[in-house]
Amino acid sequence: MDLSLDESQQILVDTFSEMLEKECPTTHVRDCEASGFSPRLWDQYCELGANVMGLPEAAGGLEMSLLELGLVATRSGHALAPVPFVEIATTGRMLAALGEDDPLIEEIVAGKPCVTLAPPRPHAVPGTTQTAGGRVLVPFGAIAEHVIALEGDALFVASDAASRRSAHVHDLGGGALAHWDLSHDASASIRTLAEGEAATPAFARAGAEWKLLTAFWLVGIAQRSLAIGAAYARDRIQFGVPIGGFQAIAHPLAECAIRVDGAELLCWEAAWADTEDPDRFGMLASMAFVWASQTAIRTADISLHTHGGYGFSTEYDIQLYYRRARALSSIGASSREELQTVAELCFDRDGSGSSEFLLGGA
Amino acid sequence: MDFRLGPKAAEVRREIRAFLAENFSEEDRKEAARDGGGHNWELYQKLAANGWVSAGWPEEMGGGGRDPYEILTLYWELCKAGFPWIGLLNNGFIGHTLMAMGTEQQKKELVPKIASGEIAFALGYTEPGSGSDVAGARTQATRDGDDWILDGQKMWTTTAHTAQYIFMLTRTSTQDRPHRGLTIFIVPTDAEGVDIQPIHTMGGERSNGVYLTKVRVPDANRVGEVDKAWSVLMFALGLEQAMGYADLQERFIENAGRWALETGADGARPFDDPRVKEQLGQTAIHAEVSRLLRHRSTWLAAEGRALGGKGAMTKSFSGTSYLEDAQAFMDLVGPAGLLDEDTEGAIAGGNFDEAFRQTPVNTIYGGTVEILRSIVAETELGLPKSR
Repeated sequence: MDLSLDESQQILVDTFSEMLEKECPTTHVRDCEASGFSPRLWDQYCELGANVMGLPEAAGGLEMSLLELGLVATRSGHALAPVPFVEIATTGRMLAALGEDDPLIEEIVAGKPCVTLAPPRPHAVPGTTQTAGGRVLVPFGAIAEHVIALEGDALFVASDAASRRSAHVHDLGGGALAHWDLSHDASASIRTLAEGEAATPAFARAGAEWKLLTAFWLVGIAQRSLAIGAAYARDRIQFGVPIGGFQAIAHPLAECAIRVDGAELLCWEAAWADTEDPDRFGMLASMAFVWASQTAIRTADISLHTHGGYGFSTEYDIQLYYRRARALSSIGASSREELQTVAELCFDRDGSGSSEFLLGGA
Repeated sequence: MDFRLGPKAAEVRREIRAFLAENFSEEDRKEAARDGGGHNWELYQKLAANGWVSAGWPEEMGGGGRDPYEILTLYWELCKAGFPWIGLLNNGFIGHTLMAMGTEQQKKELVPKIASGEIAFALGYTEPGSGSDVAGARTQATRDGDDWILDGQKMWTTTAHTAQYIFMLTRTSTQDRPHRGLTIFIVPTDAEGVDIQPIHTMGGERSNGVYLTKVRVPDANRVGEVDKAWSVLMFALGLEQAMGYADLQERFIENAGRWALETGADGARPFDDPRVKEQLGQTAIHAEVSRLLRHRSTWLAAEGRALGGKGAMTKSFSGTSYLEDAQAFMDLVGPAGLLDEDTEGAIAGGNFDEAFRQTPVNTIYGGTVEILRSIVAETELGLPKSR
């Protein structure tokens, strides 16, 4: 057993931490709230190779593992970086797995934030799967020119943003959302990537990677929320003493610290399982998404509450984290609907009712 | 990064499962549950004969030199099987402590008998007036020539009624701060003035209260220096906190999963209801997080790194999440959840009823979650001491 990062992983973390501290203070996050995207920051990401980290070497990539991608996502969550790192990593890896000469890969390598996906929602509450006019709200849909989606057993890219994409939609988390028309029609703006038996697993895989990297990002949001709340509890004086000395303040924060550590371990385990315990990868990725969502939402909430009235004012940073913890937990799939996926993957992955449970691990 | 416990732990898992298959029948499991004492001499001595009492002691102390992953696996398998393992845990720890801190005579006379399973100790820390505040112990030990005279009362002295000795925490000084006046003695349970009375719990455990009236103990039975028992105490509590209940959570979710996938008497399958699936998903996540926190504590111990608040995190999360899940399933399943395993119509092997009765204590003994959260707040978040 070894639960530490190796030297190169630590360097990766430090490199992104330093860059984000300089390039993405919360003043910059606030400046980008209207658009949900920072072209300048994305250029910095690309300079560090973030756009190609997950791609195979043959496709011009750095062929980094999901753990390494996840570490970058966690640092991004700390800084609330308004960039489509997770979407570019996930779609790039899916396209490369389907065929390394896909034209979109070239654009990714060139640093264009060109493509995103509409994550699968097998257990969506009826009536919530589409927005106005049969369209779908897509993460970073406002800046991407192409969206990958699944309909039936057809995996496809929808392009022609001019006709299929709405204007930028402002949301709770200050993201870059847009409605997309993702009907798999016969128009020239639909390019089929895979059909039949190959399509569903490829998209499920991409969905699992998107959920896992989003979970890593949420861990960053939770860790930073906790640090902000703990610092405030140490400094804020009431009744003549720091409020962190009151158990009513200290214990909820401590409970969050425990859950945050659990969320980070779960993300790490899922990423590790990708190559070392592949049978459990999909389930662990779903678990990580749910737990990181629940934990980030709870931690941002407790931290905000620790601030008293100040936490509610836009001037304080904690409200940025509170809103984004919720937004990231909702934009791909609701964390609650995902619980059913966890149960299916854990207890009945082939639908026969007799598959071996995936509890325990290696 | 590597999340595997490793080949030695895997071998222990095979060995313990084989041991249980051979020696621990379904009837034995039910008897252990009925008895609730946490210790069965016959089974204990079989484990001792295979070296499991002293398995975690260093080899140079005559122990098995097993690493923390192997010891974790030992208890994991015993707990999941419903084996009465408390005697094993206590004596593994006490033998180890005596090896490290005992007198030459104690090492020569007592330790080999602990290792062979001939004798067993119970832990006598908690008192009616001091639970969480363990340094508040008031059981008095007064010097009388070469002897000490003990007077007082202990609570929750589990296995005392089957053990030969109690590892007894006493007050020897009130001059300094409370934790600086404590001393540990080895007290035979058949000594004059020792009265052991049963305490039964809602969870089915049988524990004990121990009354000490003018109990005479020779100074040779003292463990460590006078007034300096605090470090011994902290070692034991750290050990317990770093464990948690992830093994029992795994057993619970396995039983719940099997129940959900079976067709019920009404011809329908619980798993087909989204509410059941949601709860199974949530409980499986809790079990996985508990397991990971416990593995991390074990890894830190194996690496010789400081635990900080990580041990407290393990037990706190495990205790609270298991309790929450036990209650959540009762919310879902209706009347059949109220039946124990021997009653007609029981579901999930009676595990819903059992867990509902047993889990409240998990957030209490061995450090309440309030104590544990304070430890986490102080060590992990740098908050001021809050008690």
